[in-house]
Amino acid sequence: MVATELLTELKSILPETQMEAGESEGHPLGNGGRLIVYPKSEEEIVNILKYANQSGKKISVIGGGTKRGFGGLTESADLLLSLANYKGIVEHTVGDMTITVKPGTPFQELQAYLAEHHQKISLDPAWPEYATIGGVIAANDSGPKRFGYGSARDIVIGMRVVYPNGTVIRTGGKVVKNVAGYDMNKLFIGSMGTLGVISEVSMKLRPLPKYESLILVSFEEGNLEEEIRSFVVRILDSMLEPTSLELLSPSLSERLTGQKRYTLAISFEDVESSVHYQEDFVKRIQPSKTKMTILQQKEAQSFWNQFYKIGPNGLQHTENKETQAALKIGVINLDVLKVIKESQLIQDSNNLLIEAHGGLGHGLCQVYLKGASEDILSAIQDLRDFVTQLGGYLVVKHLPLALRQKVDVWGEKPSYFFLLEGIKSRIDPNRILNHKRFVGGI
Amino acid sequence: MRGKEIQTKDKHIQNLAKIVGGVQSILYKKEDLLAYDCDGFTIHRHLPKAVVFPKNTQEVAEVVKYCNENNLPFLARGAGTGLSGGAIPLNGEVIISLVRMKRLLSVDLENRRAVVEPGFVNLKLTQSISDKGYYYAPDPSSQYCCTIGGNVAENAGGAHCLKYGVTTNHILGLEVVLPNGEIIEIGKNGIPDQPGYDLLGLLTGSEGTLGIVTKITVRILKNPEAKQTVLAYFDKVSDASQAVSDIISEGIVPAALEMMDKTAIEAVEAAAFPVGHPRDIEALLLIEVDGISAGIDEQIHQILRVCKNRNVREVKVAQDEKERERWWANRKTGFGAMGAISPDYLVQDGVIPRSKLPEVLERIKKISEKYGLRIANIFHAGDGNLHPLVLFDAKKPGETEKALAAGSECLKVCADVGGSITGEHGVGIEKREEMRFIFNDEEIMAQTNIRDVFNPKNLLNAGKLFPTPGRCVEVKKERKEVITS
Ligand SMILES: Cc1cc2nc3c(=O)[nH]c(=O)nc-3n(C[C@H](O)[C@H](O)[C@H](O)COP(=O)(O)OP(=O)(O)OC[C@H]3O[C@@H](n4cnc5c(N)ncnc54)[C@H](O)[C@@H]3O)c2cc1C
Repeated sequence: MVATELLTELKSILPETQMEAGESEGHPLGNGGRLIVYPKSEEEIVNILKYANQSGKKISVIGGGTKRGFGGLTESADLLLSLANYKGIVEHTVGDMTITVKPGTPFQELQAYLAEHHQKISLDPAWPEYATIGGVIAANDSGPKRFGYGSARDIVIGMRVVYPNGTVIRTGGKVVKNVAGYDMNKLFIGSMGTLGVISEVSMKLRPLPKYESLILVSFEEGNLEEEIRSFVVRILDSMLEPTSLELLSPSLSERLTGQKRYTLAISFEDVESSVHYQEDFVKRIQPSKTKMTILQQKEAQSFWNQFYKIGPNGLQHTENKETQAALKIGVINLDVLKVIKESQLIQDSNNLLIEAHGGLGHGLCQVYLKGASEDILSAIQDLRDFVTQLGGYLVVKHLPLALRQKVDVWGEKPSYFFLLEGIKSRIDPNRILNHKRFVGGI
Repeated sequence: MRGKEIQTKDKHIQNLAKIVGGVQSILYKKEDLLAYDCDGFTIHRHLPKAVVFPKNTQEVAEVVKYCNENNLPFLARGAGTGLSGGAIPLNGEVIISLVRMKRLLSVDLENRRAVVEPGFVNLKLTQSISDKGYYYAPDPSSQYCCTIGGNVAENAGGAHCLKYGVTTNHILGLEVVLPNGEIIEIGKNGIPDQPGYDLLGLLTGSEGTLGIVTKITVRILKNPEAKQTVLAYFDKVSDASQAVSDIISEGIVPAALEMMDKTAIEAVEAAAFPVGHPRDIEALLLIEVDGISAGIDEQIHQILRVCKNRNVREVKVAQDEKERERWWANRKTGFGAMGAISPDYLVQDGVIPRSKLPEVLERIKKISEKYGLRIANIFHAGDGNLHPLVLFDAKKPGETEKALAAGSECLKVCADVGGSITGEHGVGIEKREEMRFIFNDEEIMAQTNIRDVFNPKNLLNAGKLFPTPGRCVEVKKERKEVITS
């Protein structure tokens, strides 16, 4: 059905000003829609979903669009449901340190608002200026500080979710501790919008740290794996409480610090005396043949602000000779070392730029690739083989649609796939939401 | 002494005995089964058909398969300390006791994880790694005897969960026997964010209705460098409540922030671990901060200042580990201590937004007066998780019912102020109907739909967690009638 026909049909449930025709040429990242709809209320979301569910239409869901290249095999669904105009704070109870927000609220806007109250959401996702809170949660994005603060599953306490048939379900609640019924929040975090449209999120907050610093330790050539490993193990086995323990590949480190070396980014956030005390400890155990830089407060923050913009942003995708890809890799914590090293090796043996980082306290790596399509595809395959041998997984977080059709974004189906499939078909039997955007074509 | 052979003609019992390796691994005689007719929630009782004690995952899977094929209801049981009746065999279940699967399988300090069998006792994990400076964070007061499998099922919390999170925040991987006997591994190798819906998060806290957990990979943590504990006595509950809010507003994240009211203090002082709390205060706070030594003093000063601003009568910092431990023993044995002042007690487990504390405590007092039953409050004030303990005497006719009604009314108050009916003890049998205080029919159905994916025949731990379907249907019918008439 073409956009004009859809528009005519939808006019009765949505003002025309909240609809526009989708990209006529299609979008290189796919996940678009023939007609874009911008609901401004939960009720409008309900009506759009009901309409699609009853008339057999498919819906793509989009927030800020930063993750448009993440999963999905279709160029255009019937409707592209954008939550960009459904934003704002519903309720912030300062004393309870909880907040309830609409899904289209940009992450950074939220943090800026909360900072006025000396509070924050303890997540550090990529592209905070553009990424919406709904998208961050639906894609379960997290950053280096996950080591100190956990991820979306540790902070989301409740949601409102619009099911494909238009039913609105509340999950969890607005209190920070709650075991009533199944922990349904978990189902939607990281579900890539394949189960329902998140129309409200409640989260628990943390106080803004009173002070922070960042230590960058860069390692010179040598038996790096062993040297970095023993230093990291020493830190982990000490009383230190870093909020990040992130290893950057030489290529990434070059971009961020000008030093083409394996670099460890160790951050501390606490009262000032504690932060300096921990810095002193790190200085005392600094390995020989390393260089150490300590960034305080604003300097540390601006390093991180730059850091959150290193990967490809689906919103700013431009047609380019060079293809860009982003991968998320999960391994057992210290195996991150091996993955970062392997990425560097693959870069050196291919004609690619590969920048990588990974958290030695949580086991998640992000790898960014730039170069010719074929080289990227073969690098993904090589890395996937490598990671699988370590017992881990590799997920492709960003890739143009044409290439996503050639590589399995999510990797092999797990043995319990029938449970995932069962959950999907109970909630979205007509498969209207983000069709085939998730594991095993769910 | 038990005989060497099965003394029953019941074919199922004979077959189950074969699966678990004989007569020493099964109970089936009434006198043996009596010990399994309830858990920590003693108001409901029902005899199981049998209790089996498998030694490994394979045996669990075979028992489950057998039950599934023969349509025998079954459920898992850990230490049986659950407080909401989750392990009570309502339908004459075959109980699969995990207590013989109690090994610590591996510890990997460098990667901060340990793998345990489900029957492994919570406290033993910390004890096994404390010499190396590590611990397992979730610390339910029952930790000296409850199992980690039971903790996973209930998503157990504890006093130190304010800063470190509850069980679900510490579970990295599970091996699970599904209700059809199939064995699956979720959170493979303990690596986070496995592609797919977060089944790990869904299973944790599912109260043993989605599968039987047979192996658990948990996160372990390094001991904090320093710890300080403060005890503060208040003449007014409202001042204590305000102090709780103020501490949080200062930007402090205490490791624990506990409160007890006058009745609770009377009980703990009359029980096994008295501390010498004054009897005439209205409330006490037990506050612990931990972390880097260099930052602790500052936080303690802030806390002392806050307490003084809120008219604290007396406030002190534990002088040594011994004193700290005495204070904690007094707190952690708080529920049992009720036995010293009342023949019976019912523990409730509501959660409220912290800021509603004064209002809710006032309303609980009214409920106590209404029913003529004393209600003690011992609770995790920092995260708003209340434990009203309704004191009663089951021997007095009608008093059990009154206690249940009073407990339920406390939960209603929690729900009314935007809270929840349970923060850590689970719904079980006890709070099935109270689920309606916070969820509507559709929301409950959304959950039972998920159960049906895992547990389609509903043979595993049926009748728990959700309001009785009969009523669900009736309510719907009523609604329809209203609409159509
Ligand atoms: C004095 C006292 C203090 C307590 N304090 C706390 C507290 O501070 N915080 C707190 O959270 N709880 C507390 N509890 C409640 C209780 O100890 C916890 O719920 C605990 O997690 C139950 O563990 P268990 O091994 O006794 O499980 P059980 O009582 O045996 O079982 C509980 C539920 O889990 C299921 N189950 C058990 N093992 C498995 C398995 N391997 N796989 C799947 N399902 C399983 C059972 O079917 C049942 O539904 C307390 C209880 C008592 C008696």
